[in-house]
Amino acid sequence: MTGAAKTLVENFERERKTLPGASGWLDVSRAKALAAFAEAGLPHRRVEEWKYTDLRRLLDDVSLTTAPDHLGPVDLPATAFEAMDCYKLVLVNGRFRADLSSLAKLPKGVELHPLANVLSEQWAKKLIDRQSDHDGATRIIDLNTALMRDGMALRIRKGVRLDKPLHLVFLAADDGGAHARHLVELEEGASATIFQSHLAAGASSYFVDQVSDIHLGADARLEMVRLVDEGAKSFHLSSLRAELEAGADFGCFTLTMGGQMQRQQSFVRFNGEGAVARVNGASALRGRQMADTFCHTDHAVPACASDTLYRTVLDGSATGTFQGKVVVQPDAQKTDGRQMTNALLLSREASMNAKPELEIYADDVQCAHGSTIGELNKDAIFYLRARGLNERDARRLLVTAFLDEALDRIAHDGARDALRAVVANWFSAEGAAT
Amino acid sequence: MVAIRETVQTVGEVEKYKYGFSTDIESDKAPLGLTEDTVRFISAKKNEPEWMLEWRLEAYRRWLTMEEPTWAKVEYPKIDFQDAYYYAAPKQTVAPKSLDEIDPKLLETYKKLGIPLIEQQMLAGIAVDAVFDSVSVVTTFKEKLKEVGVIFCPLSEAVRDHPDLVRKYLGSVVPTSDNFYATLNAAVFSEGSFVYIPEGVRCPMELSTYFRINERQTGQFERTLIIADKGSYVSYLEGCTAPQRDENQLHAAVVELVAHDDAEIKYSTVQNWYPGDEDGKGGIYNFVTKRGDCRGVNSKISWTQVETGSAITWKYPSCILRGDNSRGEFYSIAISNGHQQVDSGTKMIHLGKNTSSRIISKGISAGKSSNTYRGLVGVHRKAENVRNFTQCDSLLIGSHCSAHTVPYIESKNPGAILEHEATTSKISDEQLFYCRQRGMDEEEAVALIVNGFCRDVLQQLPMEFAVEAQKLVGISLEGSVG
Amino acid sequence: MLEVKNLHVTVGDKEILRGIDLKIDAGEVHAIMGPNGSGKSTLSYILSGRDGYEVTEGSITFKGQDLLAMSIDERANAGVFLAFQYPIEIPGVTTMNFLKTALNAQRKARGEEELDAVRFLKLVRSKAKPLNISDDMLKRALNVGFSGGEKKRAETLQMSLLEPQLAILDETDSGLDIDALKVVADGVNALRSPERSMIVITHYQRLLDYIVPDVVHVLSGGRIVKTGGKELAQELEQTGYAEFGADAA
Repeated sequence: MTGAAKTLVENFERERKTLPGASGWLDVSRAKALAAFAEAGLPHRRVEEWKYTDLRRLLDDVSLTTAPDHLGPVDLPATAFEAMDCYKLVLVNGRFRADLSSLAKLPKGVELHPLANVLSEQWAKKLIDRQSDHDGATRIIDLNTALMRDGMALRIRKGVRLDKPLHLVFLAADDGGAHARHLVELEEGASATIFQSHLAAGASSYFVDQVSDIHLGADARLEMVRLVDEGAKSFHLSSLRAELEAGADFGCFTLTMGGQMQRQQSFVRFNGEGAVARVNGASALRGRQMADTFCHTDHAVPACASDTLYRTVLDGSATGTFQGKVVVQPDAQKTDGRQMTNALLLSREASMNAKPELEIYADDVQCAHGSTIGELNKDAIFYLRARGLNERDARRLLVTAFLDEALDRIAHDGARDALRAVVANWFSAEGAAT
Repeated sequence: MVAIRETVQTVGEVEKYKYGFSTDIESDKAPLGLTEDTVRFISAKKNEPEWMLEWRLEAYRRWLTMEEPTWAKVEYPKIDFQDAYYYAAPKQTVAPKSLDEIDPKLLETYKKLGIPLIEQQMLAGIAVDAVFDSVSVVTTFKEKLKEVGVIFCPLSEAVRDHPDLVRKYLGSVVPTSDNFYATLNAAVFSEGSFVYIPEGVRCPMELSTYFRINERQTGQFERTLIIADKGSYVSYLEGCTAPQRDENQLHAAVVELVAHDDAEIKYSTVQNWYPGDEDGKGGIYNFVTKRGDCRGVNSKISWTQVETGSAITWKYPSCILRGDNSRGEFYSIAISNGHQQVDSGTKMIHLGKNTSSRIISKGISAGKSSNTYRGLVGVHRKAENVRNFTQCDSLLIGSHCSAHTVPYIESKNPGAILEHEATTSKISDEQLFYCRQRGMDEEEAVALIVNGFCRDVLQQLPMEFAVEAQKLVGISLEGSVG
Repeated sequence: MLEVKNLHVTVGDKEILRGIDLKIDAGEVHAIMGPNGSGKSTLSYILSGRDGYEVTEGSITFKGQDLLAMSIDERANAGVFLAFQYPIEIPGVTTMNFLKTALNAQRKARGEEELDAVRFLKLVRSKAKPLNISDDMLKRALNVGFSGGEKKRAETLQMSLLEPQLAILDETDSGLDIDALKVVADGVNALRSPERSMIVITHYQRLLDYIVPDVVHVLSGGRIVKTGGKELAQELEQTGYAEFGADAA
């Protein structure tokens, strides 16, 4: 076992007694998950799904010992979603801070709690204990199951609509590891919008390990907009598992900006016909940043639609990776599966890897994927300069337009504008970082 | 209506693999299994010089330390490498000096396969090297080629007659350590073709090798080496068949191409090894390493393949684009039916400046088969101004087959423009109805539509092959509808 | 030539044709007119054997044979030709190749020898010329990127080449301007002969100014509600289908 994996296992041994749910079913699940993690170790380059992101090597660079409870004051950084009226749930170092959150006047039928409060409930157990296909990518969830300490648990009852967005703020105040688990259960016809902000608030070397377990009942609707803007020496690992019943509609957009290294995985599975999933994102990276997006869509039943667009802009010596996989199971006829990834390389040292896979076992389907990697169109730059823009402004205009096409997929108007502003700021910081 | 369909199917079964006969001919075999002695036996049979034996033994020793690759999307029972023969040759007391001395049974075999070896009967302009199990039976038009300086002969002959060329190039594109099957091949390869086109020569005719596995329980391990010197051009065709047998037979070939400055090699394959019966019994395991090295500036290597046979195909004809301005192309049709499993594609490694590549892959799956495209486009840091276009289209016929696309796209240079597109579709009922309304039966209609789907690739084949390939497309899909 | 008796056809659970009787003799041109949804296209599909249409009652006899017992291609080979309202695109298959495959399939079925490339080319060119179909168009993939007019001309070329005994023209005028319509109509008229029968399916009378029918039937609600001479079409132009109670199915 490598040093990093060892540290993580030791964390468990030390904390086991104090982790939430220590006396119940979860303790058994945790022990099982840890044993599995200890056996497999951290994923590395020779595990196909981690070909471009070697956790065994990369996690050596960040502090993994569990970060302390941070009870004192925190410098709350301004978040992109601040201007909108939202419910707000704040986690510091992965732990719920009631004093910083504002959860008053939730509509009837909306249950929102810190994770520890729901661990005795059946719906929570069902979500946590859910088995993923044990392929190379989902196995890392075991680490989270063993070590998760807190998180957000949201359940919305049948037909209820969350009247305003819920903003989940995840702050890193101290160095070390934070393992959080979020549970979202939307019953039939329920709907919600969730914003997520991941920000550094004082920590420098840290590891965020977050798993979101989502279940959408028939005709339920969930819109997620995530901003991942971690600190400069962090590793952000997040896995999102969503299962959709018939007619459900799931949208998820992730903008990745800050952070040294990130690996973001999504696993969407269709359980009922007529469901739709739109999993999109954009990254703008520079310096020595790395971002690896792994996007898996499982069409297990007929007549569902999935659509994915990821756009990546790479400057400095940043490395971007997109791995996508659309699986159409036997009998999942009338599937519509689309996946597109585009990348722009702005500098000589930047690299991009793409692996858009299709795995198809049914014949009456429409599946397409595409991938392009290239640089800014020189003719377009020339054209803009001939109209009087300087080189920097011309590039900025073209890059913004490139990212905007991905941001356009955000259904929530306010969130879309907010993330546009974040992208615009990325350029202002340009001089500073390069 | 039902009766008609049954008749069509029966005819289809009979026609399905028309190369499934075997030739009853006495043969000379190495002892069963693979040991260092087997390697020595093969080398001795070929009267090889010491350096060649050493080369083989080194590969053999390395092979013992290697493990079979498992990353491909194919499933098969573990191969017992000790339960096969690694050398089989038709018994003939003295080497044939001319066609008159060749066993008539062999000539008959090739005639049945549609490859007449008597020069007068041949299609004008194609020279053939016919390989039967582990040895080359005959190479036609050798003399005529010699006039322009082209060397076209069995590899074993080249080892003896052109040792300097062989030593210089053998293993220089696919090293003996490359992968499990290539290393195995290096240890036990018994035959193959050798081609050398001298500087400035445009090879006056198509060169062609025809591979035939005949013996039971025998693996075929041919090795082909083609060198196009500066400013030369050659078009090379490869065909393969095997008898219908219940057991699985191993075919692990290696092909190495070297293109120097301004040279061009066009390599076309029609692979029609026995695919096994409709229950998936028998058939060839085809594990092949093919790689071309565009070593010189402005060089070009183009792979075209029509893959219809084999129980398992594991094959990635690749180009190393080393020379500036060099170009690699890969055009592929892979058809799988019955229980066939195909995992094939290409690698385009861009090292030089202004290098370009084009990949057009058409996968057609029918029956209970599985068809995977696996490819890599890699751009190195110093490869300026690279262009790649990739298109992978899959067509599914029936609901029990599967199609997969696994592309790897890796760019380390901002000046590279890489485009990848993939689609999956099926033959629409409307298209079938339209064709049948014009009088075609269902299989004819499917063959027509599939040929249309493959057109971009079929166009790349030399004329004589294109017609054959089109028919093969139809035959391979028989029994896939209705 | 063709005799349809008490034909009832359902699609899914819905009865589209509700007792059609139709008798067409050799050399006759019958027009079938009717409002949208009256079952006109269903009739063309049931004659050519398309899947998804179930005959619940009745019979169709073609040249003494039970047409309903024949497969799609058997019918085509027996001489039933459908000129499609929306011809299908077949990517990668050139028009030329398609024509050759279809013609030789039919020749083979009739026990005739297949045409070689040279004779075939000559034949196609002679048939293509009057329809203003260039060699260039013949080299393009069948119907792919063809304009509306080109598609209908290509259909007419196929009819001319395959020389069917019964040609069914399904809304051949749709999407054509007057000049294109004339070219197509001239092509069709050139094919009229004492041995060949035609069914012209149309919503509008306009086409029948150019392809003049012997008999006109009005189809409404899945039944033939009126039969008359060519003047019936003109009458309809004046009055519309209202009097037949467009109780379209």
